[in-house]
Amino acid sequence: MKNSIKVERAKKNITQAELAKLAKVSRQTINAMELGKYVPSTVLALRLAQIFEVEISGIFTLEDSDWV
Amino acid sequence: MKLNFLFPSKFKRIGWFTLIPSAIIGLLILIYEYEPSFLDFNVPAIFVDELFSVNRKTFRMVANNILNEILGVLIIISTFLVAFSKEKSEDEYISKIRFESLAWAVYFNYAILILTLLFIYDFAFLWVMVFNMFTVLLFFIVRFNWQISKLKKSASYEE
Repeated sequence: MKNSIKVERAKKNITQAELAKLAKVSRQTINAMELGKYVPSTVLALRLAQIFEVEISGIFTLEDSDWV
Repeated sequence: MKLNFLFPSKFKRIGWFTLIPSAIIGLLILIYEYEPSFLDFNVPAIFVDELFSVNRKTFRMVANNILNEILGVLIIISTFLVAFSKEKSEDEYISKIRFESLAWAVYFNYAILILTLLFIYDFAFLWVMVFNMFTVLLFFIVRFNWQISKLKKSASYEE
């Protein structure tokens, strides 16, 4: 799964640490998601969508490998 | 994801402070077979002698030195505190690493057990069984903390 957390973060002009605080997770989790190493739970994904004020599909997109 | 089986994070330190001395003392009394007489007691036992023998005895009092029991329980409880206390920043990603490490530790522990089962015999194997009481959790602790420290290192940069 791809995500545009980094882009959304840049738009809002906040750091990983600030986003982590808003989303109530550790900065390592934000970092791991941005690097595509971790797929968040639905709850965390919804929190991010709310923080960035976008639809969840505006941040996360499925890739072909997600269907395998 | 909320994990309900975890202890508050300050218990991790308490766990280490109990685990290290009790593991060292436990190992020493095992090696030197130290049994101080003031810890000799008559204790209740479910089985006496052989479990499957015809003249098996059940539910009796037996004479026993309880030092190794005390240390065994101390080691297990403190290992649990170290293994299952929350990280300071416990969140869903840490939980995922926790579960993966736990699964890994179970696989690893039993892989080692199969090897020792095949290549270690008699009294030496008895020693393997003694250590095996604690190794699942110890392997978990090593693996989990290694993964967490790797995570902290990889996330130490920010653009």
